[in-house]
Amino acid sequence: MNPFLGPLDDNGRIPAYQQTRVSAFLMSAHGALARQLAVAQPGRLQDGLQVEMHAECCRQIEFLSMLARATSWVPDPMLPFLFWQWEAAWWPRPVDCVADRTQARMIDLAAFNHALHAVIRPAALLPETIDPMDPFVQAMRHIEFESGRLMQAQIIFLKSPQFVSVRDEVAAAVERRHEQVRELLASMLEGIEVDTSGRHLIPTAYHLSAKAAFDAAVAAAVAKSSEAAKQS
Amino acid sequence: MPILERGRRRIRYEIEGSAGAPAYVLVNGLTQYIELWEPYRYTLVAKGFRVATFDLLGQGVSDKPSLHITQDDQVAVLYDLIGELGSGPVFLAGISFGGVIALRYAIAHSDTIAGLVPISSFAEIPPQLYLLGTVMRNGLILGGTSFLMDLLFPMNLSNEWLAQQMHALEMAKRRGWLLNDVYALQNLMESFLDFEPMTPHLSSIRVPTMILNGEFDFLTPRPLQESLRAHIPDSELVFVPRAYHAFTLEKPVLTADYLARFARDVMAGRWHGKGTIWIGPEEPGGQFTAFPADFDHMRALPMRRETPQPAMPEDAKPRETTPP
Repeated sequence: MNPFLGPLDDNGRIPAYQQTRVSAFLMSAHGALARQLAVAQPGRLQDGLQVEMHAECCRQIEFLSMLARATSWVPDPMLPFLFWQWEAAWWPRPVDCVADRTQARMIDLAAFNHALHAVIRPAALLPETIDPMDPFVQAMRHIEFESGRLMQAQIIFLKSPQFVSVRDEVAAAVERRHEQVRELLASMLEGIEVDTSGRHLIPTAYHLSAKAAFDAAVAAAVAKSSEAAKQS
Repeated sequence: MPILERGRRRIRYEIEGSAGAPAYVLVNGLTQYIELWEPYRYTLVAKGFRVATFDLLGQGVSDKPSLHITQDDQVAVLYDLIGELGSGPVFLAGISFGGVIALRYAIAHSDTIAGLVPISSFAEIPPQLYLLGTVMRNGLILGGTSFLMDLLFPMNLSNEWLAQQMHALEMAKRRGWLLNDVYALQNLMESFLDFEPMTPHLSSIRVPTMILNGEFDFLTPRPLQESLRAHIPDSELVFVPRAYHAFTLEKPVLTADYLARFARDVMAGRWHGKGTIWIGPEEPGGQFTAFPADFDHMRALPMRRETPQPAMPEDAKPRETTPP
C-alpha cells in the first residue's frame, strides 16, 4: 500500500487505472450531489440559500465536466459493481429530528454536501513530486481548493439558529455522512493500493532537515556545557 | 499508535519516558500535530521527564468532529490524558491555542497538576487579536490551509529562522497541509466564537505558573501576557529574547531547557513566582536576568517606569544558580 497515488508511470503521471477509479468515484459523488441540488431548487430562487444551492449545483457540474476531460480513462471491470454501491450510498436519507419533511431533506442534503467537500481531499492524494501542470493533477487540486469554499453555505445552514434545539441530532446526521464518505473513500483507495492512514508517520525532507538542525543544536549545547564544566 | 477513547471520540497520543518520572504534557497550537514536539520528547526525556503529546480533537490523526468542537471538549480530553499518567507530578505547557486550553484546564483542575506554562497564550481577545483571528479564519476559508500557513510562517517566526529554512518551507507547509483539514481547523477557530474572557477566573489557578512570551511576539503581545501575570497568583513572566510567537518551533532546545528548569525548581521547592518578571537566557543553561526594576516592561523602548516596581525578592531568583 502507498500513502499517495502512484508509483508514477513511465511518463511521470498517475497511472491511468488509478486516475480512472478516483475520477469515477468523484463523478459518482459529485454527480449525485448535483442531481440532488438541482431537484431541491425551485424554478424561481426565493432566498439566499437557494442562490447558494444554484451556484453549488453549477460548480458540481463544472467538476464533472473537468474530470471527464482531464482523466486518462482506461477500462475498469470493477466499476459497474462499485458504481451501484456508491450510488446507493448517496441516496437521500432525510433526518428524523425535525417534523418538516422539506427541512429533513435539506439537512441531509447539506450533511452530504458538507461530507463530500470536507472528507474527500483529492489533492492530498497526490505525491510530492508530481508535475503540477498535469491535467489530472490540476483537476484534483481545483476540486480540493474549491471544496473549502463550497462547504461554507452548509456550515452556515447546519449551524443556523433554527436548528439550535436539535443541534446534536443535526451534528449526528453530518457525522453519519462523514463516516459513510470516509469508509467508501478508504475502500475505493484500497482497491488501487492506496492507504492514507499512516501518512503522518512519513518523514518529509523538511523534517529530516529540521532534525539535523535540532541535532546540531543539541550537540552545541552539550559541548558548551562540557566546556563550562571543564573551566569550573 | 496509542489511542485514547473518550465517548465515541478517538484521540491520538504518545507518552515517552519512565513511568513514575515527573511528566510534561505539551498541548499543540492551532495547526500543529504530535510530531512537532519531537525535539521536546527527546530533550525532556533525556533530562529525566516523561513527556505526553497528543493531537487535539480536530487535529492531525485524532477525530475531527464535523460541526462543533468546544474548548471544554478539549479540556475533557486533556483531563483523561493526564489521568493516564498516574500519580507523579504533572506539568502542563501549551502554545498559543494550546495555551488557552492549558489555562482552561488549570482553572478547572489545578489540583491535578504541579505547574503550568502558558506559552504565547492569552485569556482575553482584544480587538487586534480578534481581527487577526478573523483574517486567519477568512484566509482559511478562501485560500485553504496553505494560505493560512503562508500567513502564519512570516507572522510567527524570525527572519533568521526563515532565511535558514527558506528552501524547505514548501515541504514544511505540505506536511501541515496534509494533516490538517479545512473544516476541522475552521471548527477549532470557531470554538472562539462564544469566547468569554478567562481573566476573572485566573485567580483559580493555584499552581506555579511560568508565562513565556517571545520578545517580538505581535500576535499575542505583552499586554496579554501581563494580564496573565497580574491575575495568576503564583506566576512569573519570562521574556524569551529575540523570539516570535512560535518560538517553540524555532528554539526547541532552549524552550525545553526553560521547561525542565522550571519543573525542577518547583519540585525542589525553590521556585517562587511572586509576579516577578525575567529575561530568559538565549542559550540553554544560561542565566535568567531580572527585568530592570526601574524600566517599564510593557514598552518596547527602554522607558523608565512612572511608578517603580517593588524590589525583586531575594528568593525569587532561583534559576540563576540552577545547573543546566
